[in-house]
Amino acid sequence: MKKVKYLSLAVIGMMLTVISVAQTTEDLITKHIEAIGGKENWKKVNSMRSEATLSTQGIEVPIIITQVHNVGMKQEFSVMGMSGYSIIGVDGGWNFNPMQGQTKPEPITQDELNVGKEQLDLQGEFIDYKEKGHTIEQLENEDIDGVACFKLKLTRKSGREATYILDPKTFYIVRTISKMSVNGQEIESTINLSNYQKLPLGISVPFTMENNMMPAPINLTKVEVNIAVDQSIFKVQQ
Amino acid sequence: MTHKYNTGSKLKNQLALTLLILYSCFSNTAVAQNEVNASIFGTLEARHLGPGTMSGRITSIEGVTNDEGKTLYVGTAGGGVWKTTNAGASFKPIFDKYCQSIGAIAIDQKNPKTIYVGTGESNMRNSVSIGDGMYKTTDGGSNWTKLSGFDSSEHISKIIIDPLNNNIVYVAVPGALWSDSKHRGLYKSTDGGKSFEKILFISDKVGCADLFINPINSQIVFATTWEFRRTPYSFSSGGEGSGIWKSIDGGKSWKQLENGLPSKPYGRTVITAAPSSPNNMIAIIESKSTGLYISEDGGESWKQQSASLNVVSRPFYFSTLVIDPKDPKRVYRPAYSFSYSIDGGYSFAEASGDGGWVHSDHHALWINPNNTNQLYLGTDGGLYTSLDKGATWVFNQNLPIGQFYHVAHDMKKNYNVYGGLQDNGSWMAPSSGPGGVGIGDWKPLFGGDGFWVVPDPTDDQTVYAEAQGGNMARVDTRSVKNVMIQPTQTKDEDKLRWNWNTPIAVGQANKKNLYTGSQYLYRSTDQGRNWVRISDDLTTNDKKKQEQENSGGLSADNTSAENHTTIFTITESPLDENIIWVGTDDGNLQITKDGGKTWNIISKNISSTGIPSQAWVSSIELSHFNKDIAFVTFENHMYGDHKTYAATTKDCGKTWQSFKSNDFSGFAHKIIEDPKNGNLLFLGTEMGLFSSLDGGANWFRMKYNNIPWFTLVRDMKIHPETNDLIIATHGRGIMIIDDISSMRNMTKEILNKEVTLFETGDIILSSGNFGNGGSPSTGGWVAPNAPALKPFQYYLKDRLSSGDVKLEIYDAYGKLVQSLPGTKRKGINKVTWNQRIQPPKTATGASRPDNAGAIAPQVLPGTYTLKLKVAEKEFSQQFKLIHIEDKSFTLKERTTQFNAAMELYTLHINLASLVSSISLKQKEFNTRIPKIKNKKNKKLGDSYLNELETLRATLIPTKQSSMFADEKRLREEITEVYMPLCSGDAGPSNLQLESIENLKQKVEDASKRFNQINTLHEQKIKQALEKEKIS
Repeated sequence: MKKVKYLSLAVIGMMLTVISVAQTTEDLITKHIEAIGGKENWKKVNSMRSEATLSTQGIEVPIIITQVHNVGMKQEFSVMGMSGYSIIGVDGGWNFNPMQGQTKPEPITQDELNVGKEQLDLQGEFIDYKEKGHTIEQLENEDIDGVACFKLKLTRKSGREATYILDPKTFYIVRTISKMSVNGQEIESTINLSNYQKLPLGISVPFTMENNMMPAPINLTKVEVNIAVDQSIFKVQQ
Repeated sequence: MTHKYNTGSKLKNQLALTLLILYSCFSNTAVAQNEVNASIFGTLEARHLGPGTMSGRITSIEGVTNDEGKTLYVGTAGGGVWKTTNAGASFKPIFDKYCQSIGAIAIDQKNPKTIYVGTGESNMRNSVSIGDGMYKTTDGGSNWTKLSGFDSSEHISKIIIDPLNNNIVYVAVPGALWSDSKHRGLYKSTDGGKSFEKILFISDKVGCADLFINPINSQIVFATTWEFRRTPYSFSSGGEGSGIWKSIDGGKSWKQLENGLPSKPYGRTVITAAPSSPNNMIAIIESKSTGLYISEDGGESWKQQSASLNVVSRPFYFSTLVIDPKDPKRVYRPAYSFSYSIDGGYSFAEASGDGGWVHSDHHALWINPNNTNQLYLGTDGGLYTSLDKGATWVFNQNLPIGQFYHVAHDMKKNYNVYGGLQDNGSWMAPSSGPGGVGIGDWKPLFGGDGFWVVPDPTDDQTVYAEAQGGNMARVDTRSVKNVMIQPTQTKDEDKLRWNWNTPIAVGQANKKNLYTGSQYLYRSTDQGRNWVRISDDLTTNDKKKQEQENSGGLSADNTSAENHTTIFTITESPLDENIIWVGTDDGNLQITKDGGKTWNIISKNISSTGIPSQAWVSSIELSHFNKDIAFVTFENHMYGDHKTYAATTKDCGKTWQSFKSNDFSGFAHKIIEDPKNGNLLFLGTEMGLFSSLDGGANWFRMKYNNIPWFTLVRDMKIHPETNDLIIATHGRGIMIIDDISSMRNMTKEILNKEVTLFETGDIILSSGNFGNGGSPSTGGWVAPNAPALKPFQYYLKDRLSSGDVKLEIYDAYGKLVQSLPGTKRKGINKVTWNQRIQPPKTATGASRPDNAGAIAPQVLPGTYTLKLKVAEKEFSQQFKLIHIEDKSFTLKERTTQFNAAMELYTLHINLASLVSSISLKQKEFNTRIPKIKNKKNKKLGDSYLNELETLRATLIPTKQSSMFADEKRLREEITEVYMPLCSGDAGPSNLQLESIENLKQKVEDASKRFNQINTLHEQKIKQALEKEKIS
């Protein structure tokens, strides 16, 4: 009898394991979208204004990111008394970084613009991804810090790929890996996401982002959703 | 019945529910208990020291044909696959989670993101490593899938994708080197690698060595079969199973080619054809009359051409033959050297040698088919590029794939590492240096194949190094002059037998002792000037294993690589110089406890653990804590057994316990014990680095430490002062994991607590160990330095997915000095504080940035408090910052430097406040004054604004001009004095102190001037505005 009990435990254990492992791609997408607030709530998001700080050894770089869904995004920052910004609009992108000696805004490259435009989908690439022309493929689980995480490869309508790593417990995205072309060279960017917080609309966003190309993590301090945005900010002022 | 059934059903349901609850309890328990595994120590990341100066064996090079020769995949003997997208300007490893020995690579040129990799190099030398099968990527190497059917293939020599149908893939598998195997032959897939069928198989002893597909009619396939075998003491290439085969139906049926070919038996044959004229074929056939053969009718008939040295040399090792993609008469034979023919293989010439030496022993060549001047050559020493069809070559110094056998270190500050490389001599380099450890930091010490390089612990200018077969020398590291010190045969002694990788060891208890061994053990106490033999023959002295002069098979090959019945490892106890353990390559483990007077063989006591009796004793570690405790690794791969064997004894070899782990893979090279915690062990194998925190009861693979998961670990040391783990890999150079003390200090209690803030202990105040020479590296491999500052360390049981982590540092008065964002990963987290306060908020609104805003004075020694905030929880501890008294930077100087810097820091803040006040006034009046209609008042207003702006422009740069146009204002004047006082280890100079007083006066004057301007104008302007009701 004892043997039978252990056997049953093992069988049930195996079943549960199988259930937890055998997630279809659609299951994973649905669970992730639910984990971050659900499709319905995210489809209500039209604009977002985030305040963030990049801090390293006491140097603090305040950043303000203003986004309007599928219209534009502006990132403003201040370093050592100087201010700069970058703009991605539907019809172009600009960069002004006086720290690099720029004295006026300059257009970004087509490669950068292509990447930037894909970020204008404020509601997230997973929601209605088929209608958007993207495809998603589940890859073998990725071992992140000893945890077997789900791995999804998203191929955008443009053909550009991004890989998303999902925590198996929370279904939050814990890492994104994307490739971009800079002057014909393939550059890989890895961003670790954490500190998910719920916003009044019911959606959750990661408040901490660590990018392998940045010197320190970026922490969001305030996020406002569906605020009024003067869209002229997405045009360059020479 | 119904009632009974229902009851039964209810019981069953209850049982199921109980079981579920039980399961969930077990499940929760499992989750609640954290196991020791590699993820906990993921922040202990290895630095890859290189060298790039001398690289390692390249086994395969394939390029994408449609992007101008920029994208290449380079397969290596023990360092995985590297990708470049810029023709070699930079490389990235893309195969770090898989077996590191690469046999073949194939790119689907119709869809060049699809690449196949066959693991297991097929250059069948004595030290070749095995693979574990075939892999495929469809995204250029970001993600890989293992293909089924090749797990036991061990060696793969070639993969060809049908140029006309990319679903068809051929794989040539020579198969196991050390044993019979049914997993040999030629395999074919017709579904893009999902499944494979074996289409040519001769026997368990005969594999498939080479392959060629006719690019115009891909049903025509050529394959060569090869009978070969190694034992620990011999090599044989050749046999009746070797042959050359042709199929005209895609491998369904085969015929053996004979017309015009030499008589059998054959050894290894390489075959190819001109891509532009595939009926023009050439082959180099190992036989009793090895030579190059040519066919003009698609292999139906052959005639012999060249048999020059480079064509016929070591056919088992040099199996590369390439015809120019456009010119059917231009034939390349990369082998012992680089030779080429312009007459279809009739005659061969050597490359010019201009532009620098090209390492001998060539194994791979890729020619850009769209620019056939552009060649990439893979050698035993790394990758070379040519832009003139191989006439001259440029060495790529950015591939750190050296194949070390052993590593050692000295005890100097920023200690040096020493090691010997396969086919690439003996080297030393600093573990850290100005600008990192670059290609120029590596110093060659000795030639040949390098193995043991041992610094003399009693003489910091002397090392012992060797080439293969025990050719050892005492080397002066300053001049690199050497004296050969190998013991010689004396009267009445057998001929000395030296292992290819002969051990050289220095005493751990008595550092004057120097040991080496043939079949006898020798000791010197005068740096190898004189030797004393302290043993009889310690091996089995099996004469059958001593016939190396007959080795090679069809081509004689006796280079000491097969020397056998020799001493392989020597260890003197750290606790007693009279205790010496010796291991041999034929299974003997011998001990002396009286300094060599008597010897006791203990090998037989190990057999109960299941370790084969003939296994090589690959390493011996004698405990630092107990004379009777030893750890030993054994390896039996030369008998076809690749299992991991490691064992320990606690009674000086009487009884043994073998170490087991499901994580283990690859045969064992080295085991070491931490000199400070006897329960912390490291095991290096042919396929990975493993660690145990509990004396060997449980092991885990070190795979999150910036180390390829299956890296070939040949040797390791733990530095007793820095606590660094120094690793010799056979394919990725030297790696250093700086300061492993957190592994040493990990306990079960800590593991299961949500958060633990580790004791920081005293931290030395430092501005870093090295300066900045001003010029960044212009190329070649550069390793980062060891961290100069001791980090704060804390443990998180799980990765934090919600909530924040912050570290705050307070001074003795409770004032917040610095706040740092914390990392949130599972396990050990490390955050380094730069020992400085927050940089000053310098004056804003300028047209140029000011560097002072990025640097702050270094704090003074004293007691500080660290607060770690993890979500809602807070942990705190005190720690001390220590000043190390140095005549070049005394505590008094440090204090005066800090005080002076803080005066300037305050000046910056005061100036920022003044500029801010001016700007506020400007903002208040700028738009209103232009509206004043009264001319006199308007003029007064303009004058007010002008005076404010004039003052502001004396304080900060205001011109909007180029970054190259300096504009020095008061802010910059302060910074000019402030920056040196923040960055150098020196007290302030007399002139710097004078400048501070001068600058104080200038800030004060500016402040006065601001007040004067306001006093003069502000009230009048306000009245004028009020009068005209301008708001």
